[in-house]
Amino acid sequence: MADLRIKIGSVDFNNPIFVASGTYGYGTEVSELADIKDLGAIVTKSITRYPREGNPPPRIVETPSGMLNSIGLANIGVEAYIKEMIPLYEELATPIIMNIAGSTMAEYCEILELVESVSSNIIGYEINISCPNVKAGGMEFGVDCDLTEQLTAQLRNCTERLLIMKLSPNVTDITSIGVAAEQGGADALSAINTLVGMSIDTESQKSNIHYGYGGLSGPAIKPIGLACVHKVYQAVNIPLIGIGGIISGRDVLEYVLAGAVAVQVGTANYRDPGIGNSIIIELDTLLDKNNMISIPDLVGIVQLGS
Amino acid sequence: MKIEIATVLENKLIASNIWKMKMTAPGIAEQYKGAGQFIQILVQSSWDNPLRRPMSIAAVDDDQIVIIYKVFGRMTQILTEQEAGQELDILGPLGNTFKWGDNEYTPVLVGGGVGLAPILNMYGECTSAGQDAVLVIGARTGAEHFIDHEPQNNVFLATDDGTVGIAGTVIPAIAISLKNTGKPEILACGPEPMLKAVQEFAAAHEIPAQLSVESYMGCGIGICQGCVVERVNGNVSEHSYHEKYSLVCIDGPVYQSAEVIIG
Repeated sequence: MADLRIKIGSVDFNNPIFVASGTYGYGTEVSELADIKDLGAIVTKSITRYPREGNPPPRIVETPSGMLNSIGLANIGVEAYIKEMIPLYEELATPIIMNIAGSTMAEYCEILELVESVSSNIIGYEINISCPNVKAGGMEFGVDCDLTEQLTAQLRNCTERLLIMKLSPNVTDITSIGVAAEQGGADALSAINTLVGMSIDTESQKSNIHYGYGGLSGPAIKPIGLACVHKVYQAVNIPLIGIGGIISGRDVLEYVLAGAVAVQVGTANYRDPGIGNSIIIELDTLLDKNNMISIPDLVGIVQLGS
Repeated sequence: MKIEIATVLENKLIASNIWKMKMTAPGIAEQYKGAGQFIQILVQSSWDNPLRRPMSIAAVDDDQIVIIYKVFGRMTQILTEQEAGQELDILGPLGNTFKWGDNEYTPVLVGGGVGLAPILNMYGECTSAGQDAVLVIGARTGAEHFIDHEPQNNVFLATDDGTVGIAGTVIPAIAISLKNTGKPEILACGPEPMLKAVQEFAAAHEIPAQLSVESYMGCGIGICQGCVVERVNGNVSEHSYHEKYSLVCIDGPVYQSAEVIIG
């Protein structure tokens, strides 16, 4: 048995397989279909200051080896989240990472402060500064180094818990945003969020997504996620969490070799909410087969050249 | 709900472009609640198409599940290639059911195109419960029909081209079928234009109606939030969740007609 345990900041995780924000609800909904207690962590869907209806339909469409979504951060809002969801986590053995989205710096901080003001076993926060689908999704932060650093620093002042900034690939230079988040005091970075994409029905000549564009996810984006992780890994000294198109243990190992210490499984959960469990077993077997003993030894050791 | 590896027992063409598949899925059959519910089929194991496809249940018989599906894309084409003995990864049963059983009303069951399955399922439920029901099935042409036009038995077929049954959409056929029906309640499933026409007809004639709506679906279990339908009088205040938009996969697919905006 390989040792799948990893550490991010001061937090220990049993394994590096997390589930990505927006693909596992608030954490407890799919317990009928998966052994959620065995997952490394669950990242919740994005929580905003107030409830949000989300975007008009159509919101999703399948694309080659992937899908586009434009949900528009539909969620119950932080006050209902505190009242209805946080108590459920007391019964849960899985570490919960709460994902937060906001439209202003003050709003991000207010959400964080509201959650910090109550007792909870949330293990950390992932900050969505990269939702491509709504104006209020923080994207203006995710594309600007100064704003990313300021926001990270402000949130850092509000919490001792794990602080993870989620990076967007829809930028000129993802590395500089990652460095800015590190300078602001982030404990870790997750990459990547979805890529802006489009799909058109040629018969009706309509966009398959109501607002035209959606976020592309799924196996189609794995090579982009790997390249982003590899680039950022070389520029920062904090741990990275790889996201994008993971469906197997081998995909996880690729992300680890590129520089990630953990990963998040996303779109694949829609097909099989228990796929995270299968990936944990696959990764274990794969490491054993290759005499690889632990994850930290493998992070970022991909070799370049012939 | 559960994910189960079903075994295909039979998969055959029953009319032009319309197929019927029977499979063994004891776990899902056991949890099944009634007509309107659906399953999510993983049509093929490749990740070229990552998502499952939703299919309404046409019948459940002991540990067997029947679906009736229309071929309209690559995934449904691949589904036709499944042979008896092959295995299929399915998730279900999902969604809610048509509500009936109030003897005051006679169910008028209206189906068309991809929406045949739950309507035939509902017809089966009525028949086995000894409940009188009217069946109205629409198609583009006679070749797409696999049952007979029998107005004397309250089975009315409609075809756009008039080759079988009553010429036109399901609306004139519904109007004819109502002549000998006491207090009707319409239960309908079909393509969006059909549902919209049924909704308008029901409203104009003050007939209660339930619609099983179609939606592009991601997960089928409420996680992806992709399959929304807009509610009538949905609270559109600045801050609300789940009031304006309803999730078809877990709140539906069956809604009171007056409750939702079609198209």
